[in-house]
Formats: sequence, structure tokens, C-alpha cells
Amino acid sequence: MSKYLLEIKNVSKFFAGLTAIDSLNLKVKKGQIYGIIGPNGAGKTTLFNCITGIYTPEKGEILWNGKDIKGVAPHKIAELGILRTFQTIRLFSEMSVAENIMSGRHIKSKQKWYNGIIHTPAYYKDEKYNWEKTGEYMELFGLSDYATTPTGDLSYGIQRKIEMARALAAEPKLLILDEPAAGLNENETQELAEIIRKIQAMETTVMMIEHNMDMVMNLCEYMTVINFGAWIYDGVAADVQNNPAVIEAYIGAEDED
Amino acid sequence: MMSRTNIIALIFLIIMGLYPLFADSAWLAIGTTFLVFSVVAFSQDIILGRAGAFHMGHAAFFGMGAYTTAILNVNFGWTILATWAPAVLIPVIVSFIVISPIIHLRGDYLLVATIGINIIFLQILENDLFGLTGGPNGIFGIDVLKVFGYEFFEQTHMYYMSFILLGITLFIMKNLDSSKFGRAMFYVNKDDVAAQSMGINIRYYKMYAFAIGAGIAGAAGSMFAVQYSAVSPEAFDVLQSIMFFTIVLVGGSASLPGVIIGTFVMFVLPEIFREFETARYLIFGLAMIIMMILRPRGIWPVKFGNIPSFLKKGKK
Repeated sequence: MSKYLLEIKNVSKFFAGLTAIDSLNLKVKKGQIYGIIGPNGAGKTTLFNCITGIYTPEKGEILWNGKDIKGVAPHKIAELGILRTFQTIRLFSEMSVAENIMSGRHIKSKQKWYNGIIHTPAYYKDEKYNWEKTGEYMELFGLSDYATTPTGDLSYGIQRKIEMARALAAEPKLLILDEPAAGLNENETQELAEIIRKIQAMETTVMMIEHNMDMVMNLCEYMTVINFGAWIYDGVAADVQNNPAVIEAYIGAEDED
Repeated sequence: MMSRTNIIALIFLIIMGLYPLFADSAWLAIGTTFLVFSVVAFSQDIILGRAGAFHMGHAAFFGMGAYTTAILNVNFGWTILATWAPAVLIPVIVSFIVISPIIHLRGDYLLVATIGINIIFLQILENDLFGLTGGPNGIFGIDVLKVFGYEFFEQTHMYYMSFILLGITLFIMKNLDSSKFGRAMFYVNKDDVAAQSMGINIRYYKMYAFAIGAGIAGAAGSMFAVQYSAVSPEAFDVLQSIMFFTIVLVGGSASLPGVIIGTFVMFVLPEIFREFETARYLIFGLAMIIMMILRPRGIWPVKFGNIPSFLKKGKK
């Protein structure tokens, strides 16, 4: 068993000759809230896409509990316990909030292939249990009132919560959040920070990309700063804030948020 | 307390159940075919409306069921009852073989590939493969269903057999929609990237939809062959596939009442207006265009939110 939950070792990803990620290294410990920061276009989302199997990096290793998961299909990555949210919200928009969160229960559901045609006592037990779990996650995120509402009809802030509840319903070991505070107002951001703390308390490791520096500095125990796909610095919040290389990377990028 | 949809479903089943008492033989035949086509439309809807795969070759699976029954009965002397299982299983197996290499294709690409499958199927039928399919004329003289020496030869028998098949199909659809499998198809349909990130194997669930769809279409094909006691290639050409595709979109994708309405509008209405000859198709074509503009989600669109009642609380 590896000391680290997730290890990125010398990972590089190229797009038509363009280097999106450049021999990146980082190590995430179990139970951490780990921040990935850097200016826009630095390759942060590309990194997340490599971890979750959407992209396969050309070089390096992605170690999950010490085992290389590079090139493993996205649905298998999810089965391993790595779940994510998206920078641009991706919900099943015509479907209700409950049905969306139920998708998180997919990998936990033990229904057999023939249960899509005929139901058995084991099916009823499994179905009921997973809907109850869905109910619990709706409760946790304060979404119970919207159970039957199509997600497309709800506000941006609530949609962000649904996306997180959906990922969390799969009981992930690692939750990857891609700019969770984007588009949220101050109150909602505050609420989000509390939710992320709660998630950590549920013994779920969190990795997040975020531009809201107050939130990152407040939440993340450790962070890696990247620019142009390459490592610039990693350390605890206070060190990162005072590092000259980091400050330089952010000059001119400051006014974007 | 029954929901509005359940009441409408019950009224529909009662009307369809009593229909043979009022219909003459020509209308009974139309009624029987309506039931068979509804079953095929439902099976198309599993693939198109649920899994979201643009499948434009469904008449091939329908035809495979029909020809399996015809060939086994006429050429090999099997009883109709004995042909039922192979009429379901052969389309399922063929769907695995021909669809799995193209299942990753998206939207329009899959549509073209499935049209190709339908065309190849038709060529096989017309060229009398292994001397089994009877060429362009098809196969005649298919038996009626015989169980324990009793012959189900009357139109009314055919009608009620199709009615039972529709009942079984609706039962399967209901079970599918309330299972992990039906939901996974919807997730893949609505956002495949999000679906795979939730651990859903896109390939598996699309293939699952095709396999069930092909099996149900095969059962309907077997029924169709016995009803007309003959099969011929033109009943399973691409135009027929287009009709099943259109039924789903006009009626309402993934909507049970929608598909029934779609089948009625696309198949029964033209029969009602038969006296207007080909002019009816002019009106019909125009109506299809206007429908897609005004009601792009179908006449009776699907409503999501079928969740257990214990989760429905809070804001009324």
C-alpha cells in the first residue's frame, strides 16, 4: 500500500505538438483537501481529465494507491472511487434532481442484468436502499424540496450543489472538484466551503481547482501551483502566497476573477 | 388514488380489449397490425428514446423475427410455438454481432451505419440466401398457432395474441424504466461524458438497449408473420425503419403513451383516410413537418421525476 492515495509522476500531455502538461509531479495524501491553482490555460482541467481517464497522458504514471491507472476507461476510474464535477456544469438536465443524484448510486447498485426486464426480491431491496441513500444526500445538500424538479429549472448555485451531491452519492474515495465556486455569490461560496469541510469529515479526500483565492487558502492544506502545464511551486497556503514565482505567474492574471 | 396517466392507460387497454367486438374483419386486421407495430415502436424507443442511439435499421430486427418463424415453420416444419424462442434470440444474437462494431459511432454516423445494416439484410432476403428466404416473393403458407391440438386461426385470436404481446412489452418497459439499466440509458442519452464519469459503461448500456430492442422486435416479427401467413422483403425495408423511427419522434421519445399515439398517427390515421388515396400523404407529410416545428419533443412528451413517493416532500 502506497503512502499516498494519488501520485502524479512525470505526467505529460500533448495536443498536436502543444504541451498541455509538462512532466508534472504531485502527491495527494488520504484525507487532504488538495488545491491545484494557476492562471487560466495552465493545464489544470487537462490534469483532471487525465486523472479521470478522459485523456490518456503520453508520458508518466498516475498511481492510485500505488497502482498505475493511466489509460483506464473513465467508468472504471469511477468504479475505483475517483468521482468528479465539471467546470461547466454537466447535469442530466431534463431529469429531476433525485434522478440526477441517483446516478451516483449506479456503481453501488447491485442489480443484475435481467433486472432491467424482470424484477426480483433482491432488486426491490437494492432499489429501495439506493433511493433512500439518494434521499440522504439530498437532505445533506438541502435539496429535498426540489426532488422532482428538473435540474435545468434551478439556479446555478443549486445546480453546483446537485453536481456535488451526485458525485458524493457514489461514496468516492477521492472527489475532484473543477472550479466549484465559479459563478457563485458570496453566500453560496461560504456555504460551499462548509460543504467541502463536511465532505472531508466524511473521510473523502478532495482535490480542487479554484480561482477564488480566499477559499483556496482557507480550505486547502496543501497545493500545487502550475503554469503553462508545468510545476511552479507546491506547499502549504502561507508559503504559496509569499512565493515570488507564484506571484509572478499571477501578475496580469489577477484581474480575471 | 390512480394517477391521470394510469387512468388513461386503463381506458386505452379496455378500449383495445373490447375492440374486436365492434370491428369488421378488415378493421380487425388493421387493429392487429397496430398492436404489432406498437410493440416494434416500443422496442425502437428503447434504443432511440432511452439510449439515444440513432438507429435507422430496426425493420431488419423485426424482419429477422418474421423470417425466423417463417423459415423454421415452412422449411423445417417446426410448430409456430417452437419458433418463438429462436425468433427472439436470433435478432438478439445478430444485434450483438452487427451492432457492437459500430456502437461507438455517434448520432448521424450511427444512423448511416444502421441504414447499411438494413440494406444488407434486405439484399440477403431478396437473393434467397441458402435457398431459405424465398427471394423477392418471400415465404408463403405459414401455419397458425396450435397448442394442445387447438388451432388459433381466427382474426380475433391473432388480435388477442398481439394484445398479450403488447402487454408483455409494456410490462418490460415499465420494469426497464424503474431499474438501474433504464436510468443508465437516460444518463448516457442526456450527457455521455457525465454518465461515464459516474461509472456508467456507455458501450454496455447502449448494447443492452439494442439487445432488448432487437429481441422485442423479433417477437413482434414472429407475430406479424403468422398474422399474414406470409413474409416478403418489402415489409422490412429502410422505409419501414424510417416509419418506426418517426413514430417515436412524432409521439414522444421515451414516453409510453407517446409511442402508442405515434403509432396511431403514423399507421392507423392513413388507413382511416384511405378513401383520399395518395392525397392523404401530402397532408400527412405536411403534418409531420409542422409537428416537428411546434412540438419537437413529440405529441405526448416524456415526463421525468418518477421517484419513490417517500422522496416527494417539501414544496407543493
